[in-house]
Amino acid sequence: MIKLKLKTLAPLALLLAAVPAAALQPLPLLDDEATESEEEDEHWVLLKGGDVYTGTGALLRKADVLCRDGKIAEIGYDLYAPEEAEVMEISGYRVYPGLVALESRGLFGGSGSLKDSVDPFNESMTYAVASGITTAVNGSEIGKLNRGRLEDVLVKRGTFVGLSYSISNPSGRGSLREKLEAAAAYLRTYREWQVQVRSNKDLKEPKKSGVDSNVLAVLEGKARALFSSDEQQDLVGIARLAQEYGFRPVIKGCREGWIVADELGRAGAFAIIEARDRRSKNEALVRPGGSSIENAAILHQHGVQVAVLPSSTGISLGGIVGRDIMHMPTEAAFAVRGGLPEDAAIASMTTIPARLLGLGHRLGTIEEGKDADLIVTDGDLLHYRTFVQWALVGGRVVYDKEAELYFAHIRPRPDGELAPESPVDPGEDDIVEPPAEEPEEEPAEEPSEGSGDAPTEDSTEPPPAEGGSGEGAEEGPAEDTAD
Amino acid sequence: MPLPQGTLQRTAPDHPNPVPVAARTRATMMLSTLLLAAAPAVSAPAGDLLAIRARHLATGTGETLEHAVVLVEDGRIVTVGEDLPIERGIPVLDLEEEVWVLPGLVDAYSRYGLSGSGFSDLRPYIQAADEVRLDDSSWARGMRQYGVTTAAFYPAGRGIPGQSVVVATGPTPEGSRVLRRSAYLKALVGNDSTSKRYLRDGFKEADEWLDKEAKNREKYDKAKEKAEKEKDSDKKKAELAKLGSYKPLPPNMKGQAFLDLRAGKIELLASINKAADYLHFLDALGDEDVSWHLRTSLSTESDLFHVKEEIGEAGAMVIIEPEITLHPSTMRQRNLPAELHRAGAKLVLIPRADNSTGMKEWFRDVGVMVSAGLDRDAAIQAMTHHPAALLGVSDRVGTIEVGKDANLVMLTGDPFEAGTEVLAVMAGGSVVFGEDEL
Repeated sequence: MIKLKLKTLAPLALLLAAVPAAALQPLPLLDDEATESEEEDEHWVLLKGGDVYTGTGALLRKADVLCRDGKIAEIGYDLYAPEEAEVMEISGYRVYPGLVALESRGLFGGSGSLKDSVDPFNESMTYAVASGITTAVNGSEIGKLNRGRLEDVLVKRGTFVGLSYSISNPSGRGSLREKLEAAAAYLRTYREWQVQVRSNKDLKEPKKSGVDSNVLAVLEGKARALFSSDEQQDLVGIARLAQEYGFRPVIKGCREGWIVADELGRAGAFAIIEARDRRSKNEALVRPGGSSIENAAILHQHGVQVAVLPSSTGISLGGIVGRDIMHMPTEAAFAVRGGLPEDAAIASMTTIPARLLGLGHRLGTIEEGKDADLIVTDGDLLHYRTFVQWALVGGRVVYDKEAELYFAHIRPRPDGELAPESPVDPGEDDIVEPPAEEPEEEPAEEPSEGSGDAPTEDSTEPPPAEGGSGEGAEEGPAEDTAD
Repeated sequence: MPLPQGTLQRTAPDHPNPVPVAARTRATMMLSTLLLAAAPAVSAPAGDLLAIRARHLATGTGETLEHAVVLVEDGRIVTVGEDLPIERGIPVLDLEEEVWVLPGLVDAYSRYGLSGSGFSDLRPYIQAADEVRLDDSSWARGMRQYGVTTAAFYPAGRGIPGQSVVVATGPTPEGSRVLRRSAYLKALVGNDSTSKRYLRDGFKEADEWLDKEAKNREKYDKAKEKAEKEKDSDKKKAELAKLGSYKPLPPNMKGQAFLDLRAGKIELLASINKAADYLHFLDALGDEDVSWHLRTSLSTESDLFHVKEEIGEAGAMVIIEPEITLHPSTMRQRNLPAELHRAGAKLVLIPRADNSTGMKEWFRDVGVMVSAGLDRDAAIQAMTHHPAALLGVSDRVGTIEVGKDANLVMLTGDPFEAGTEVLAVMAGGSVVFGEDEL
């Protein structure tokens, strides 16, 4: 028993040792040489003045996000950044967490393991980051769209265990239940053994023979069970099975989920849905069925974790264009049309996929300590007009709309190279006329309003007349008539 | 380049009064042509001299000489300079005003005249030298008529198919046509685990052999030490005799090429198609300190510009076709060779097609790149000096400098102007093409 205690104490002691060490770390700041050499290797990026949609419920207007070595170091106002920091002035733009695509095809180029096959310059990857995706599932691997680099691409391997449960396949259902039962039974005996072995060291660990390792991984919480189901009966079946054996199912499709949303919510299910999915009900049945525009909203209301995925998971520039992986925000926006709250729609592309993949601690929200995978947009992410202006993966800009040929010419940034010299061409006539009109009006107003107000009007009015062409002149008379 | 000033002197001054160049007559030129035609193709007798006068001469070092004089002795260049007087009695080849002289071209990447396919795995021991016919066969005549006096042949196949050979297409002062039996080791590397594995496996084979060899040596040393401690002198003698001197293990076929790479005896030529392949090549190479160059075949939508700065910073040599490409998914034209050159990479241009048409059009195709922004001197170097340097034979060919083989291409006009053709070609001091034109 004493030994045991010592063992449990050892990590505690380490922790205790680590705490003062960590607390001491800021102290060497006084030693200039040491910090300088350290900082040289560090990579700092400061996103300054953007509206930060953290994904945690907080919206920080005109705030700063400081990234250090690929992680978010600090979020707040008037942040101090070291001199060598790369500063991005993004006031007027919005910052969102990078999107997480739960399925993808061809974004990484090549085939085989990500590490040896990724083509970090391939066009699909450019299009994907241009649409806000910074992390994507590629086969059995999860990768970062770390454009231009081979490093730090692979995030994780083997998250999902594909299981099938269908009302039309009784034997399949039967064998799944048997596997779950066997795995659950094994876990029970294993836990029993864990308790007993403390008093009797000779007890042997129970054998895993006959236990499906995949199903066991699901019950142990090491992997997620992924079902592809649309029919309400299947969904109910999966929900009940999940509750019975204590795991949280991931259901892709989930078309009729809105009918059985309460069951799915109780089971703590994740749903990967295509919001624009359309299928009429089976008319042979009296009960409701088929797809619903409200699917995402209803599922969300009942506590189901809703993630969206367009119907094609590759980049498609023809054919299914508009419903490919570039259009995750459009897909989410469609769920909003069906009643899903906007923050839940953003979460359906960020927080929830990250959580679903077991990467909630690294991705999905803008929080200190998380990966600096961020996108900067020129408007509401859910609006069709919005473009991703910059995308950062691991604190590095991997996409700049102005620098790529694809969308650079569409509504260029006002400060960009491609911007027209004057955003609106006033036309030669407009420039000449307004100054000529104003002096005529003002003398007429002056005597009636009194001498005290006149000078202030004089000093305020001319600037808009010079810069904003016709606008100032139009507003003046409009106000007068309202009064 | 330091140029010798003053009078050209023969080694044996038979004619003490040098005649200024301006004083020369047409008759001497006729004489020189006759002499040339009579000159034996290989190993000219000692003291065999020829002076060449040209209005325009690009040396291949990035320099262009006006009113140049080149003195060739025994197949080698002994003097190069501008406006040099030529000693009386030296046969002179006086070229027409519009003629340009360039160093003999070097085609660094060819399989001209070779057939057959290769393996597609790790076969670094295969030598292209074993495939090439070294007599004066049709490929050699075919190449040199377009001004190619030096060519490197690579082994066919994918993966790591073997080592290349550098040969002369005409006579050389030294006699042998093989300039370098083992030049670059070719390796196709891309974004797939197989091709990367071949490269890693090669170095692994080398390491394994080194380990075995070290163990073998250790074993021998121990045995010898033991034998030397032997007190009985006869027995000691017998045992030492039995051990003999140390014999290294026979080389490992696959590992040897990689040991040669590390030792700098050969270079690596990474054949890549796209920007990502370059990163994967570096990844597969890891910390190995070997000399490497790049070969990339320009497809219409090459995306190599993504890594041009990195390639330039590495100072790598890039074997590339003179080809205008399109920016991926657009109709925007790019001059990648020029971009690579500006980024600091050393260009090695090869004919657009590895056949007689490609060689015939070589100057014209490079001319297109020049008119599209490629630096002119860089373009000339990319056909002469740089390929020679890549192939490790720049001490002999690739430039018109003192001591180099007298490989010259004479063109009817500016090399990059339309309509310019090869007038004559000199290899190792002998005119191998176009005698009648001179």
